[in-house]
Amino acid sequence: MRIVAVQVLILILLLFPVPVAVGGLCARGDSGGSGLAFRWVGGQFLLWAGFQLICVPMILRQRRFSHMAMLFAGYTVLLLLLAAAVELRRRRREGAWSFLPARRAEGGKPGEGVLLWAVFWGLLLFQLVQAVRLAYGDTDDAYYVAVASVAENSDTMYQVLPYTGGGTQLDSRHGLAPFPLWIAFLAKLSGMRVVTVAQVALPVALIAMTYGIYRVFAAELFPASRGQQALFLIFTEILVLFGNYSIYTVENFMIARSRQGKAALGNIVIPFLLLLLLLLLRRLQEKERIPLALYALFGAAALTGCLCSTLGALLVCMAIGLAGLLGAVCYKRPGILPPLIACCLPCVAYAVLYLLFD
Amino acid sequence: MWSEVAGLFREYMGTGLMGIWYVLCLVWLWINEKCRPRRILFLYLPLALLFLYFNPLFAGVVYGVVGSEIYYRILWLLPITIVIAYTCACIYGRMAQEKRLRADLFALCAAGLIGISGSYVYSSPLFSRAENIYHVPDAVVEICDAIQVPGREVMAVFPLELVQYVRQYSPVTCMPYGRELTVNKWHYHNPLRDEMEREVIQMETLAPMATLTGCHYVIFRPGQKVRGKPEDYGWERFGEARGYVIYRNTAVELSAPAAGE
Repeated sequence: MRIVAVQVLILILLLFPVPVAVGGLCARGDSGGSGLAFRWVGGQFLLWAGFQLICVPMILRQRRFSHMAMLFAGYTVLLLLLAAAVELRRRRREGAWSFLPARRAEGGKPGEGVLLWAVFWGLLLFQLVQAVRLAYGDTDDAYYVAVASVAENSDTMYQVLPYTGGGTQLDSRHGLAPFPLWIAFLAKLSGMRVVTVAQVALPVALIAMTYGIYRVFAAELFPASRGQQALFLIFTEILVLFGNYSIYTVENFMIARSRQGKAALGNIVIPFLLLLLLLLLRRLQEKERIPLALYALFGAAALTGCLCSTLGALLVCMAIGLAGLLGAVCYKRPGILPPLIACCLPCVAYAVLYLLFD
Repeated sequence: MWSEVAGLFREYMGTGLMGIWYVLCLVWLWINEKCRPRRILFLYLPLALLFLYFNPLFAGVVYGVVGSEIYYRILWLLPITIVIAYTCACIYGRMAQEKRLRADLFALCAAGLIGISGSYVYSSPLFSRAENIYHVPDAVVEICDAIQVPGREVMAVFPLELVQYVRQYSPVTCMPYGRELTVNKWHYHNPLRDEMEREVIQMETLAPMATLTGCHYVIFRPGQKVRGKPEDYGWERFGEARGYVIYRNTAVELSAPAAGE
């Protein structure tokens, strides 16, 4: 029992406090986005981006999974140290020593929409409980979860047939989007069984993260009214809960298949990318300089898109390209295009590799 | 090509009601939204995306690279949820400035309409109450735990309804066929599966196939009819889990590796 408690604790640490702490590095990407949700999501994107950069070359060179896990753990520690140093410098400069993230000054009355917020939290809790209580028999899990299970067990990456077992040639095509190996990494570090991490822990974390992104959206869209923020979030929850009008919707993927990379692409990467685009466009509107951290987050989102799915490269490039072009034309700021193109370069590189392996 | 793309769009929109609400929200925003960044993100960007999605040239290139099956995922870039939720919250805000009660009524009606137009996500028949912390059937857990041999892999053939779960739970349990045989459109064929899925399994046919594919264990589903005695073919009844019967095929050697091996 004590071992299970320690495993759960490690997993919670890896999925919540660690990304929040790393998120301190990008908290100034936008002055309005320094809330806890933004730090959590931003930090996780920095971690995912590093994972993709470390993992894919090691898969292609057929290195051991444990070596990759060690390298990524080192990268995580490095980011944590960097974030701590940045935080310390910032606190010293500001003269504040509280390690809680700075609260964003929000408009509206403090107690506004208490009932609405209660409804939002209630619906969120319901979805998280359902994620633990209900199992979804999706046959794709036989691939994605098995890839993670096999990697953790055999210490290889994409060299064993996930459906049946037995050695095979390196599956380089799927290896370009190694989201399952991140699950294996979490399982290895926490000591929890891969299938439990994938089927129980991840849905809870990733569903909560999706609403974390919507929470930041709400704050951006309704800065003056906490009541409207809560109402916006409740509507997103209702749309998700009744999003089964087609098996293809992102909402369906979010609730039913959250441990699969494509679900993370549709429900975390794309909404976060849209949020970043909103922040970028707002800066353009206010004729402000675009901070480097915001571009860094665009780059992290692009890499994370590639981590989640091979189609991610295309979707991320389309979103950044079209919105960037619209922004550059509408605000007559062509200067934003070169850095945005640079952010898309990793996607182009992975797309070329995909075509080579296809 | 265009009809295929349009067909995918229709399938994505389901009954089409949610699509109608989305279009109505876009119209409302087109008239009322003054903030330019939001206009770009919620109006111009989706329009540009839809133009690309329905563009035969673009569709042809993407079809060629990623295939037709996942082309619909481009529609994931449409911020349907965000736009509908944002529009509803905006209309609510405007109404609340005049009459709170009317605004509350609007919010309730909008939520109800969404509920009616959509389909409850947990109503999918693929959802079931989890039997354990692994979210795989108890039978899989018990069978895999029973047949595992420390330090080595085992080969076992399972009934088709279990194959998708086996290697999620136990990566050391190998199978002669897996999930690939459950997908009809992939057109995989395996004679062992055909025999295992017969209404009445013929031991005479199954036993040599199981030995040929190196199966240490064969699992029969509850109440499975079998012609011929498994024991006559060198099989031993190894155990039972949730009604599934496990047979050990002694014709295939199974030894635990020595310590330090």
